[in-house]
Amino acid sequence: MPEDDPAHAIPMQLTLRSQLDELARVSQWVETLTHAYAIPNDTRYSMELCLEEALANVIRHGYRGDADQTVVVKFERRGEREFAFSIEDSAPHFRPFDPDEPPQEAEAVNLEDIVPGGHGIRLMRKFASSVEWAPLEPGNRLSLGFVVPNAG
Amino acid sequence: MKATIDELEGNVTKVVLDGRMDIDGSAAVDLRMNVVAGSSTRVLVDLAGVTFLGSMGLRSIVLPAQAVRRRGGKMALLNPIPLVEEVLKGANIPALVPIYHDLDAALAELRA
Repeated sequence: MPEDDPAHAIPMQLTLRSQLDELARVSQWVETLTHAYAIPNDTRYSMELCLEEALANVIRHGYRGDADQTVVVKFERRGEREFAFSIEDSAPHFRPFDPDEPPQEAEAVNLEDIVPGGHGIRLMRKFASSVEWAPLEPGNRLSLGFVVPNAG
Repeated sequence: MKATIDELEGNVTKVVLDGRMDIDGSAAVDLRMNVVAGSSTRVLVDLAGVTFLGSMGLRSIVLPAQAVRRRGGKMALLNPIPLVEEVLKGANIPALVPIYHDLDAALAELRA
């Protein structure tokens, strides 16, 4: 990365243990990146929201609470106003993101239908500009794209 | 993340949340939220001071709301900032736990 890139001193990748308390490291890293690239607050919020959801899903459901695994989160600048995070794990394939399978979540019709934590995929699709899943052998790669809106 | 509890007229318990409702923040207030949900049937959660609400934060609202509902009570949310409200709407929460931007209207609904 060239030295004139605003984030040249910031790691472009984090390797996390599969423990929920690792998510605090992600928040700090995102704060550093968004400051370096002058990413506005709304977009930063979307990034943190989607990353928290995606990583919690990997830890809770993908690894089923196994705290001895790792998750790799990478950051990429794709354009002047376009950024992306990819999340790679070695958990079983996460079918709700399989592009050949339709979304499984249904709208809740009463309070008891809401499954705590069951709204995550809908939130990611709402707050990220793009959500792409690809199988790894083994594991998953989830790519979250974010486009910063034009000012004004 | 802080939670402050106030008892208002009409047996309404107001919970004022302040800070980030991420994993750490939600864990910090879950116990107090659960205690309120187990003891009050009219709960108003003031979200004006919540600067971030993620998936973990949604759990910290939904679980107490379900507990209050099972006990025959009501919960309402007050004054979330626009980003937080967008997350709540994205998870379809307002259809089930109403959001108010007016304290008097929220209290009237809870006391009804």
